[in-house]
Amino acid sequence: MAAPVSVHLEFGGGAELLFDGVKEHHVTLPSQPEPWGMRQLLVWIQRNLLKERPELFVQGDSVRPGILVLINDADWELMGELDYQLQDQDNVVFISTLHGG
Amino acid sequence: MPVSCSSCGEKRAALKRPKTGHSLCKECFFMAFEEEVHQTIVNASLFKSGESVAIAASGGKDSTVLAHVMKVLNERYNYGLELMLISVDEGITGYRDDSLETVKRNQQQYELPLKIVSYEELYGWTMDAIVKQVGLKNNCTFCGVFRRQALDRGALMLKVDKICTGHNADDVAETVLMNVLRGDIARLRRCTAISTASEGEGVVPRCKPLKYAYEKEIVLYAYFKKLDYFSTECIYSPNAYRGHARTFLKDLESIRPSSIIDIIHSGENLSVREGVKMPVQGTCSRCGYISSQALCKSCVLLEGLNRGLPKLGIGKHHRLHGKILSQQPLTEKEERKLKSVEF
Amino acid sequence: MCEMQRGAGSSSDPCRRPVLQVRRTWEAEAPPRGLSVRNRSARADCVLLFVRSCFRDYFTHKFRAMLGKTRLIFPGEKVLLAISGGPSSSAMLSQVQQGLSQSAQKKLRFLPAIVHIDEGGALGLSLVERQRLVSELQVIFRASGFNFYTIPLEQVLDLPSSVVNVAPPSFDQAPDSYKAAVDVDLQGAGRDPQQGGGVPEPRLDESQTRSLQQLLGSAATLTARAELLSTLRQHLLVHTARTRGYSKLLLGESCSRLAVRLLTCVSLGRGAHLAQDTGFSDCRFGDVTLVRPMREFSAKEIAVYNHMFGVPTVIIPTLDTKMPEKASIQRLSQSFVSRLQQDFPSTVSTIYRTSEKLQTAGGGCSAQDGRCLLCVCSVDTAAGKASALQARLISEQLCCQEPAGTVQVGPTPPAGQCCSATDGECGRPAGGAGCCSSHFRAPEKKELQKLLCYSCQLILRDMSSVAHLPQYIVAEAERRKRRSLMKDEISEFLLEEEGSS
Repeated sequence: MAAPVSVHLEFGGGAELLFDGVKEHHVTLPSQPEPWGMRQLLVWIQRNLLKERPELFVQGDSVRPGILVLINDADWELMGELDYQLQDQDNVVFISTLHGG
Repeated sequence: MPVSCSSCGEKRAALKRPKTGHSLCKECFFMAFEEEVHQTIVNASLFKSGESVAIAASGGKDSTVLAHVMKVLNERYNYGLELMLISVDEGITGYRDDSLETVKRNQQQYELPLKIVSYEELYGWTMDAIVKQVGLKNNCTFCGVFRRQALDRGALMLKVDKICTGHNADDVAETVLMNVLRGDIARLRRCTAISTASEGEGVVPRCKPLKYAYEKEIVLYAYFKKLDYFSTECIYSPNAYRGHARTFLKDLESIRPSSIIDIIHSGENLSVREGVKMPVQGTCSRCGYISSQALCKSCVLLEGLNRGLPKLGIGKHHRLHGKILSQQPLTEKEERKLKSVEF
Repeated sequence: MCEMQRGAGSSSDPCRRPVLQVRRTWEAEAPPRGLSVRNRSARADCVLLFVRSCFRDYFTHKFRAMLGKTRLIFPGEKVLLAISGGPSSSAMLSQVQQGLSQSAQKKLRFLPAIVHIDEGGALGLSLVERQRLVSELQVIFRASGFNFYTIPLEQVLDLPSSVVNVAPPSFDQAPDSYKAAVDVDLQGAGRDPQQGGGVPEPRLDESQTRSLQQLLGSAATLTARAELLSTLRQHLLVHTARTRGYSKLLLGESCSRLAVRLLTCVSLGRGAHLAQDTGFSDCRFGDVTLVRPMREFSAKEIAVYNHMFGVPTVIIPTLDTKMPEKASIQRLSQSFVSRLQQDFPSTVSTIYRTSEKLQTAGGGCSAQDGRCLLCVCSVDTAAGKASALQARLISEQLCCQEPAGTVQVGPTPPAGQCCSATDGECGRPAGGAGCCSSHFRAPEKKELQKLLCYSCQLILRDMSSVAHLPQYIVAEAERRKRRSLMKDEISEFLLEEEGSS
């Protein structure tokens, strides 16, 4: 059993529009059999936070192309992307690069 | 309530033209379709009276419709052309052998002479054998390069003045998109030309009379005319990147049907900045075919196959051309790089 | 300039921890000086890893280099920054701010001001919402210390006709005068005092908002509406620059956006205008040059920069916000490019490099005439007999004429014939029995089509009515028509074609 994990989520660049315009979310991910990774986090976000048009945020099991992800202020491409294991108090930022310029 | 034909105003409309959105009866559609191809031929002065013209026939819808329309127009407007069919046998069991049967039936139906040139006799390799060596990822490169040359060789054997191919508007628009995506400015500039000028020895000028005909309309034409064509895709995997461009084009068409023609218009009106490097056309020092390198692509590919180094022709290995020409052996390191099939 | 050796990732020093991975393709040329590149292959596809401070230097260096090497913006020149509030233009504002506060050697030497077009009316936002967004932006603008103009898009309805005309360049910009301008600037001459305030904005008139909405509403497709909106925005921006004496208009388009734009333009039939629509500089208006200094930055670099260095942005919805993928050609192109970029990481840079190899048909910067009434690019409809345009006209004509054989297809079918117009409308007498279409038929629409480039004709074709077009466009159309008639009348007395409209 993995312990619950508290993470700070931030949505920007227009991605927040899919979350009722709310940019910052402090959430606690409940205890579950397998550890919390980015893959699981995306599913959780889709089920619990996303307000509309899920296809504009997730595609397949990843984020929609054009949405940038930073984990603790570093590019998630450097952190293993979907396989990154979340740590307590992690900061995850989703920035849409698809919205106006 | 049945819609009446917007052209003759009498008969019941049978279809909505994908190209313009007008509702037409079958006869008016046939007339409009054929007339448009005629206008294309006349406006672009594709042929001269007395010329012999080979129609590249694959047995598929485009070339079947092309053969049919060329025959009809040649008679209706007295083009004075001597038409014949030319077909390439790539050696793909279960695909080309079946489609060649269709071409042979077309030959009978249209009473046109037919010439078949095969990869096997030209290169000593069938596509089946090539795929066995190179795998499924880059086989389209081999096939495309070989086909172009095969058509020229066949046309030379038939002593024709011109080849016409079944490329339609969708194909041309797709090629424009592909070249934008690949940043291939030289091809981008050339790809909308309706005909290629005579590029040199051994190359027969080509043209695309169906350049402005929508694929959808070609299918409708073949369907209503009950033309006999072969409609299975090549059994070897289609080019993935081209597939993306095609999907995009189809989506564009669904949003704005004129997109296909609009993209061709874009391609026709591009102009390239002066000083951008363009490859210089020369000839292959081995077979004499046009090439921008010392060896033409087809000779490099063939050399790779024969040496058991299939990667030789994929990607850029121009610096090896000297070695190939002088029949020198490659170093072990070079060989290792070109050998692996996983690319 | 930056550490990107193999070891960078494994360093235990948190300051040396890489925070960003960027893929770049350098074709032919070498990667910028000072960058050590991790993977160097034949095509120079490489992955850059940045630590935080290096990324800042890299970003700033690139911005300055872009303006420096082109020598397009003169010292002391008045420059207007078009700021939408989005990430890319906000990053541009931040760079200009920094550049002006640099030490003398590296200092940017032009005089900037900000313009923001409030498009809320076009998007159907409430007045309260619009005011909120504008005041949020004004906080940012005020903090910059620059003069700023926030202009409601409704103002476009009051523009003078001259906005769609080319004006002669405002001052001499020969290469050798650049040096002279630097010297003048260094002596402190020619410098305007910057007061750093907002210019009082005109009051919003509700009926104006309604007119604007009717105008955009008459475009039946989102594709046409979006093109129309961006055309209007461009007119208003250029007008603002002209009347306030700014000779450069800086746009914040990133290379990701320009790659999408390029593909969109190809799909919209704007092939002839690609260089203007996506190039570094665009002088179609003559006196005001549009400049795109952000075109070397990817959307990802910009997003990370803004996030890391706290650059404020204001997200304002656009026409296609939350719309499905196939809602418009612009929208589709964007999702297509970003999806392809995922699978083929050099997609954006490859498409974007294409734009550098193109040039405008017919010179672009000089020719005064034959410009499109909407986009002000050279009209590209004088195509030959064997062309896509001609093929389209033939198709339209063939569909509602007497069966072929008798068909006379000329390059310009006589007016009054069925479907002879380029707009795809039936030209038979309205209400006539054989008329093939029952669209709205305004005589002006046909007249207008003649004054447009291929692609802008498509916008008009998608419009149910031209009744709501702004007065400045209609008046200019009238003027051009009269002039063309006059020219026809006197043509036999003219000794040679002087090439004016």
